[in-house]
Amino acid sequence: MSKQYLTAHTVDQAHPADIFSLAPTPSTLISASGSSSLRIHDTTSPNYPLLQTIHSAHKLGCHHLATARGPGSQTGNIFASVGFGGDVKLWQLDPESKQYQLQWEIPTVSDSGKGDVWAIALSADEGYLACTTSDGRIHVWDLTAKEKIQTYETGGGRGAAGGGGSFAMAVDLSRDGRLTASGHENGGVYVFNNDAGRMVYSLSGLAKPVRAVTFSPGCKRLAAAGNAGIIALYDMEHGEHVGNLSAPGNRPSWITSLDWNDTGDYLLSGQLDGKVKVWDVARGACVATHSETDSALWCVRWLPPTERALGPGMGKGERFCAAGASRSLSFYREATGI
Amino acid sequence: MNRISSNPNAPNHEGAVLDSQESFGVSSVNYSTINSVSVSGNGALARIESLLEAIVDAIIAGNEISIPYKRVRVSRPGPAPAPGVSGQSQTQRSGRQTGVVRFPGRTIQEVKKFEALFCIIEISHEALLSGSLITKRNIYYQNPDLFGSQAAVDIMVDNLAFTLGLGRGDLNIVAAAKGLVSGPIVLVNRDGSVVDCGLSHDTGIILPSISEIRSIGFHAAQWILVIEKEATFRTLAAAQYAKSSSAGHGILITAKGFPDLATRRFLSVLHSMRPDLVIFGLTDFDPDGIAIIRTYQSGSKRLEHEHEAVVPSLRWLGVRSSDLLSSGENPGSDDEGDQGSQVARSHAAFDLREASASAHERPAKKPRLSESHDPTETVSSLTLRDRKKAADILRAIWSVSQPSEDGLEHAHELQRMLMLNIKAEIQAVDSYGDLSAWLDDKLFAGMH
Repeated sequence: MSKQYLTAHTVDQAHPADIFSLAPTPSTLISASGSSSLRIHDTTSPNYPLLQTIHSAHKLGCHHLATARGPGSQTGNIFASVGFGGDVKLWQLDPESKQYQLQWEIPTVSDSGKGDVWAIALSADEGYLACTTSDGRIHVWDLTAKEKIQTYETGGGRGAAGGGGSFAMAVDLSRDGRLTASGHENGGVYVFNNDAGRMVYSLSGLAKPVRAVTFSPGCKRLAAAGNAGIIALYDMEHGEHVGNLSAPGNRPSWITSLDWNDTGDYLLSGQLDGKVKVWDVARGACVATHSETDSALWCVRWLPPTERALGPGMGKGERFCAAGASRSLSFYREATGI
Repeated sequence: MNRISSNPNAPNHEGAVLDSQESFGVSSVNYSTINSVSVSGNGALARIESLLEAIVDAIIAGNEISIPYKRVRVSRPGPAPAPGVSGQSQTQRSGRQTGVVRFPGRTIQEVKKFEALFCIIEISHEALLSGSLITKRNIYYQNPDLFGSQAAVDIMVDNLAFTLGLGRGDLNIVAAAKGLVSGPIVLVNRDGSVVDCGLSHDTGIILPSISEIRSIGFHAAQWILVIEKEATFRTLAAAQYAKSSSAGHGILITAKGFPDLATRRFLSVLHSMRPDLVIFGLTDFDPDGIAIIRTYQSGSKRLEHEHEAVVPSLRWLGVRSSDLLSSGENPGSDDEGDQGSQVARSHAAFDLREASASAHERPAKKPRLSESHDPTETVSSLTLRDRKKAADILRAIWSVSQPSEDGLEHAHELQRMLMLNIKAEIQAVDSYGDLSAWLDDKLFAGMH
């Protein structure tokens, strides 16, 4: 059974540059681009109006955002952003004004003004932030104590030079807080146990740069994808490769972004050729493909489910958003009543 | 004349000049460096050899090896030390920093530095023995990983020369006369000699110093194409692209990599003489490529004081991310399922690659693209240095309050480069080595 999604709304020219990252909260979507501003859009209204623009957040542009993903409405109090200068900032929601304000800039920038952080992930309890580096390390920061509590090394693996690891292009934290996963330029995928503070799985299979890693909401599966153009699924009980998701045909585009829906039944993927796909994980099949644009998609994200119908024409079905080089935000919703 | 002919630049140069007319004026820059070869026999070889002897002695004795090495202080604009003055007295007189590089070193940096310094000494020794000239560029390419950067070589060569109390030329190490020009233009020198740049076929003419030129005849040239890579320049020059392009006649110029002042000046003069000529820049898709474009447009930091060496109107022809990325040639094709083959073959999302993969299975929709070779051969991952360099250029772009249109475009391409984590050479967009079709389209689009 294929699913149908409709274009619900498009925010044209949401940013004056490529949109590189999206991050949802229960009621908003944050977007970041090659320009210095971050934007926060209201996802509870059919026109997805702009709620807030954070000007000059990252002077050189922003490439990664992270919000906490988890059940309920307790998330969205903070989010994190990384600039092209390697600078990491933490933003906190002021409950009074409903506006995000700079809470803390993580001291990742050296005295010479250069930082080295690429991908980030925020834990479900909003207490910890994982940051990757160009030499394959993953630093975990305790956001309450404002200190670095863990560094995972991946050096000495394949393609490692000078003792450093391969560029860590992607990172995720499991919702139960137990595991950290990283995806690397050399195709490596590593999983770390946060309680033991060590690597538990070194997962092979993709061999090409890994651009996205993401734990399923139940923390039982890890999905990884990148230049290989397929989505590899790993079991987190024993670290086994349990399957691939791939479309028929022989010319898959690079996958830039992955996201599980809230039930863990579906995976969303965004590709460099502008296609966004929804995958039924249990059946291992692609159930929907959208190709409204032929320019690169940099990020795709499900919006958290809502308990009530949001407004006329918005329905209760699941929604997702895709963005990239077109500089627009494309919102999709599941077609219901068909 | 043996010495001269072993200079890698001299033969081309001389041949080109003789091809056209009996002109000597253009070559004056080179002759001056060649002259320095003839006087360099005194002392330099002996000093280098005594250095090498000391190293060998230390190895035999099992002692720590050390090479004297003094740094030229940048803040102190001293004259080049005259040959014959001993390093010792030079040091005392000008109060410059002294020191040695040891092996085994105290730090990893010192070990590397020792190796690099030793490499330069060896090369210089070889050059002195054979009486040939070697360029600093050439030294760098002996071992790019070891030296890390051209600048490191330049500094080390100057410091080594200073330590030995010699001039750089005494070590038979020179800065290459870099720029080449090819196309239907005629340079008239101050002494009345005439150089027709359209005559030399694949080699191009080495750019003369601007001060040597009295006038330039442009014929029917309508555009100027500045090319980063010498190899690409030579291929296009050999194919007479300057005359055969469907975009009209034009002029090809290369500075063989990062532009030197002479090439930038030459370009600036061309532009001031004929502002109607559209100037294009063609570079690799990597941070250096963008840095090169920016240097042509707005100069370099180190030579900020140099005037009349920028061409702000230079247009960046490519290579850009859009030239490499898929533009959705066959929308939806991978869902139609040609033969249900498993996707494990994992191809990259490049337009060209897609087309070439499909060429055997179905009629190609874009014949030109289907002839293209596999771009994964020319697309590679960014190195750590590339990523740092990209961030540095981004910082430079945003260091002004309101970046120009060009600056914003550079920033956006750098950001995409970082996101994709790829770089590509000019060759990534050609078709079996033939760049002309791609260039025709781009030049035509750029001029209309």
